[in-house]
Amino acid sequence: MLDHKNLHMSNPFREDLVARSRPESCTVVIFGATGDLTHRKLVPAIYNLKLDGELPPDVKIIGFARREKSDEEFREGLEELNKQVSRGGHDETLWTDFAPSISYHQSTFTDIEGYQSLAKTLDKIDEERGGKGNRLFYVASAPEFFDDILENLKKAGLNESAEGCWSRVIVEKPFGTDLPTAQHLNQVVNETFEEKDTYRIDHYLGKETAQNIMVLRFANSIFEPLWNNRYIEQVQITCAEHLGMEGGRGGYYDKSGALRDMVQNHLLQLLSLVAMEPPTDLSADGVRDEKVKVIRSLRQYDTPELVRENVVRGQYTEGFVGGQKVAGYREEDRVNPESQTEAYVALKIQIDTWRWSGVPFFMRVGKRLPKKATEISIHFKEAPNVLFNALPGATPGGNVLVIRIQPDEGISLRMVSKLPGTSLRLEPVKMDFHYATSFGKGSPEAYERLLLDAMAGDATLFARRDEVEEAWKFVDHIENAWHKSENPPEMAEFEAGSWGPKEADELLGDYKWRRL
Amino acid sequence: MSVPENTEVLGKEVPLARLDKELRLLWEADEASTNASLMNFAIYAEDSAALARNSQIVSEITREHACRAILIGIDKEKPTQDTKAWITAHCNLSNGQKSVCCEQLAFHLTGKVRGRMRHTVFSHLNSDLPLVFWWQGELSEIFDAPFYSILDRLVIDSVDWVNTGESYAKLAEALKTDLVIQDLAWTRTFHYRLSIAALFDDLLAQQNFKDIESIRIEHQPVHRVTGLLMLAWLAVQSDWSLVDVDFDTVTLKSGNKRIVANLVEKSDAAPLSLVEIASPNMRASVSREKGSKYLTQKLSVNEHKMERIAPADSDLVSELVTDQLSRGGKNSLFRKVLPMLLELLG
Repeated sequence: MLDHKNLHMSNPFREDLVARSRPESCTVVIFGATGDLTHRKLVPAIYNLKLDGELPPDVKIIGFARREKSDEEFREGLEELNKQVSRGGHDETLWTDFAPSISYHQSTFTDIEGYQSLAKTLDKIDEERGGKGNRLFYVASAPEFFDDILENLKKAGLNESAEGCWSRVIVEKPFGTDLPTAQHLNQVVNETFEEKDTYRIDHYLGKETAQNIMVLRFANSIFEPLWNNRYIEQVQITCAEHLGMEGGRGGYYDKSGALRDMVQNHLLQLLSLVAMEPPTDLSADGVRDEKVKVIRSLRQYDTPELVRENVVRGQYTEGFVGGQKVAGYREEDRVNPESQTEAYVALKIQIDTWRWSGVPFFMRVGKRLPKKATEISIHFKEAPNVLFNALPGATPGGNVLVIRIQPDEGISLRMVSKLPGTSLRLEPVKMDFHYATSFGKGSPEAYERLLLDAMAGDATLFARRDEVEEAWKFVDHIENAWHKSENPPEMAEFEAGSWGPKEADELLGDYKWRRL
Repeated sequence: MSVPENTEVLGKEVPLARLDKELRLLWEADEASTNASLMNFAIYAEDSAALARNSQIVSEITREHACRAILIGIDKEKPTQDTKAWITAHCNLSNGQKSVCCEQLAFHLTGKVRGRMRHTVFSHLNSDLPLVFWWQGELSEIFDAPFYSILDRLVIDSVDWVNTGESYAKLAEALKTDLVIQDLAWTRTFHYRLSIAALFDDLLAQQNFKDIESIRIEHQPVHRVTGLLMLAWLAVQSDWSLVDVDFDTVTLKSGNKRIVANLVEKSDAAPLSLVEIASPNMRASVSREKGSKYLTQKLSVNEHKMERIAPADSDLVSELVTDQLSRGGKNSLFRKVLPMLLELLG
């Protein structure tokens, strides 16, 4: 058996093998294991890590959920989905080796006995593993069970780890529905796990291009000197979705809305990466300290008038998307016919810092837009109106740097060039970098990277408590103006399949939304 | 040495003076395709017949690595100096939609070639992009300081070398520069190394590490250097020093403790078919069946037993190069291991 006096050993063969924090063996317990996220994202992500040889050895997966299921039934369901969605394909030999590491634990989230028996199962696994007992709890259940799960983990002592081991929790969004609920959730989480062991997952941050924002800004000397209000005119962040409320998602969405579902987390995270100051180092807190400063510096729209001036909310009406006729938002499945929930939101955001003073950040997100696309565009100021720009008809516009997050991840730069010919005519041209074209190998799924980081104890790409709460503070002012004020700003309408309401275009004043 | 065969796979033969112009015409003729390039990727062989074979390899590598490919086939024995050139493009569908193409220039040089390598071949590098140079076969007198000062990354396969010790000695000077050297024999050990590291993540295995007394490495006869690189890595990571080499038996020591390593040739097996590390109470092994895509990791410490599979490195050189290009980096671990390898090679 293991000599516990000699636990502080190391593995000399690990040194220098890969240039990043080393993920460690652990047991991953997924709460809400029968859900879509587990089947479509989490288990395929772990499988693909194994396929690539990135998964630490001896990783076990325990699915924790209410439904009656045997281990075999659980594995069969996972295998079926893995065949459909696995990035690297499905290999029978590998799955046969992988499947025994998966088991199912049936219990309701509120039953403490279920957690006590889970603890026994985990102890047994640790014993078989030679005493190493790292645990990663993934809370992927419906949000109303978060409290119960975290409290019961604590009651069963599962939040504590043996000497030299760790116990971490990954919490899926939503991190609350407003500031008070987020504070409450954070309090419950931090009463169970220390902040350093808490990983609030935002899968946008695991996307290759999102990670590349910092590299683009801080590993290239040409951009950072221009990355301020002297050279940048405006910034636009777009997250367009062509889907509506298919698959019963209207039930959740109608309670949430675009602002809480997307802006509070994904878009403000992207904004903070674009606008942050250079961190002192690449440690998790080094990066997150700078990100939270951006969120803290957002100008607060704390009156209905300010919200009316700077935020547009909208719902789509009947229209056509991809050639198909689609219903209006209020006619969608599981949506209240009198719903006051926004399926589209556009914001004009001001960051009150020395660097960004006077530079508007426009953000828009919505359902039933013409196509699926998420991107950030940095619009630089035009060159002085002398020389070429003073020529008649010469209005090619300023440089635009576009960071495409999905679906075609990449970066492009718009520049002005002379048209071939004897006369002097200027036209914009585009330099384009596509990840898929340049690096033929597919990027890992966001969940692969994020799960590996959690196993390695690297929280850089996860949201910290203060980031989440500051984001809610900003969003709550807008929600309050919409739903609690006596004179709420109106709900705009737009035809499904268009790029949003005209009020959102007017929000930009003299600017225009970038055409995607 | 032969005249290049099967030159139709090399594309259109073009006069050297018109090479750049013909390349431009190649793209102007096809507006539907995107010309992508992240590096200059040259493959050099002192074998005229290699040009056609390497064109096929480039076609495979460009599926993942956009580049300007430059194939160089040399026939030094011919008395007359002659240079022929061909151009073509390798196209692949990206995301099932866009046709992404990489241009390929092929050169066949006869006679003395040193000057023409610099003035003719290297003058067609894509500017500002790094040069990855895959030298196939033994390093010849052309591999000198002015030559390798142009390269950013050198890919070799020491398995192809007849006199491994001498060829490695030629690399010694190059290693004093910033040149990144990637030996495909080293690449073949990549997943073995990951697997061994994974086995020693087990605390019981770690506890027995200090008692390791024997190592067995099985390899194909031609892959002796792969086995030696594996052993060199084990020794360097474990801080063992070399005591003696008696061809297939190597004695190492850790403090006063001796570790005996045996290299065993296995003909009808994977290039590297077994690495086994043993102490009185522990046996850790990584093995691979011939042709298998997977390695089998086994650990046995007293009653504690474990077995699982992990990915293996490819047997195809084109896939090894593709993997190596994807990993990038400075290959500092290889540099760290190399002095021990040179000691093992005597």
